[in-house]
Amino acid sequence: MSEIEHTPEDSIPFFPDHVKTEFFVVLGILAIVVIIGIAGLIKPVGIGDPADPLNTPLHVKPEWYFLALYQILKKIPPMVLGIEGKVVGVVIPVVLVAIIFIWPFLDHKPDKSKRIYWIRLALAIVAIVTIIALTIWGEVS
Amino acid sequence: MRHFSLKRFGLLAMLVIFVGLLIFITTHARAYTSDPGIPEESLSPNWSLAEAGSSAPVLAITPPPVAQEPCLSCHILGQNKGLWTPLARWVLFGGLGLVFVFGVFRSANTWVTRSPWRSFTSRVAGWVDERYNISEPLTKILKKPVPKYALHWWYCLGGITAFLFVVQGITGILLAFYYKPTPEAAYSSIQYIETQVYLGSAIRAIHHWCANGMIVMCVAHMLRVFIMGAYKAPRELNWLSGVLLLILTLVFGFTGYLLPWDQRAFWATTVGSEIAGSIPAIGNLTLVFLRVGWNVTGETLSRFYGLHVIIVPLATVAFMGAHFLMIRRQGIAKPL
Repeated sequence: MSEIEHTPEDSIPFFPDHVKTEFFVVLGILAIVVIIGIAGLIKPVGIGDPADPLNTPLHVKPEWYFLALYQILKKIPPMVLGIEGKVVGVVIPVVLVAIIFIWPFLDHKPDKSKRIYWIRLALAIVAIVTIIALTIWGEVS
Repeated sequence: MRHFSLKRFGLLAMLVIFVGLLIFITTHARAYTSDPGIPEESLSPNWSLAEAGSSAPVLAITPPPVAQEPCLSCHILGQNKGLWTPLARWVLFGGLGLVFVFGVFRSANTWVTRSPWRSFTSRVAGWVDERYNISEPLTKILKKPVPKYALHWWYCLGGITAFLFVVQGITGILLAFYYKPTPEAAYSSIQYIETQVYLGSAIRAIHHWCANGMIVMCVAHMLRVFIMGAYKAPRELNWLSGVLLLILTLVFGFTGYLLPWDQRAFWATTVGSEIAGSIPAIGNLTLVFLRVGWNVTGETLSRFYGLHVIIVPLATVAFMGAHFLMIRRQGIAKPL
């Protein structure tokens, strides 16, 4: 338990200063929400054809945040290293999530310099660009 | 002319407008006339108003018979459409009455006790504090110093996610009032929300787009924490609860997507549960748990509705509470 000590110079009280800042952020988001609502009045989200289990549409897609995963599953060859491709395509994301989950225990040494920020930023950008690319690929295909 | 300032004049003008409006509203003769489409004669054959424009000869304006007295409860029952006039009357006169009562009480109290007036808030606060001794810990909580670096914009991503969760909760409750989770009625209830419910399409649009925004904000917050190394000791459990919250948000999205019960929702769920079903060892179990059987049916819809409306929100609130309490206890991680 390492409580950070703050001197009065480099800190502000939670109330009212910090709460006030947060309040303005909330107001800004609320304005965006209201704009979305007005946009929804002009152009509703809408609804497609009623569900029909007997009639499969041409382009079946999951939600956009599962598109990358779905694209991996679709494009993976049937056999990878002697294991069934579908199984590999599912196990790899599950393992990745598990690694992300226990990441603080894998990378536990305190940061020494700011260089590590840039390394992790690069890592994050690579991961995000990969996911976005897969998502776009899944969207257009 | 110190006593005549523009501000006072403005206040006086406002008062005049206020009183004028009050007189206008409360003496407006047609205030209680229900539907302008219904002719006056059919309501009360013996009574007509000059300004109602009826063809009946203008006689002396006599009050309506007792049986046809415009009733106040008709406003609540929806038979009388003019709801604003009685409401404005109650608010205006009631507010003025309360001000008058307060003034009398305050004067009498000051005179009787021979001591300066104490506001109601300080009285209530004192009463509570006497019993529960709340002011000291509350002050400590409220005055807790927050580091100045926490005012950078990238620190508010998590807060935005939490706020969007609140928005989702409110709009979700509003949608749940009209939504019917059965395969026969789900589709038409969404159509009803979109076309008939007052502001229904706005509420649904907010729920739809803020759901996507919440996922984006959640990921952005996670990236911020990852890049800045804020997950390191002693904040490992915060990271764990955060990853669980991201997964819960995705489950929210996955279960909510089926609820409109249109072709897109149905087949997205079919495909999505197929992905879950191809996990080795536990795949079939997951598939059967999600679909309640081997196919996506009405049972699936009920299950997803239950998950979306009860289970996942409860879990999210619990983990969010833990997440916030840990932040509160440990403070915001100091960047290098």
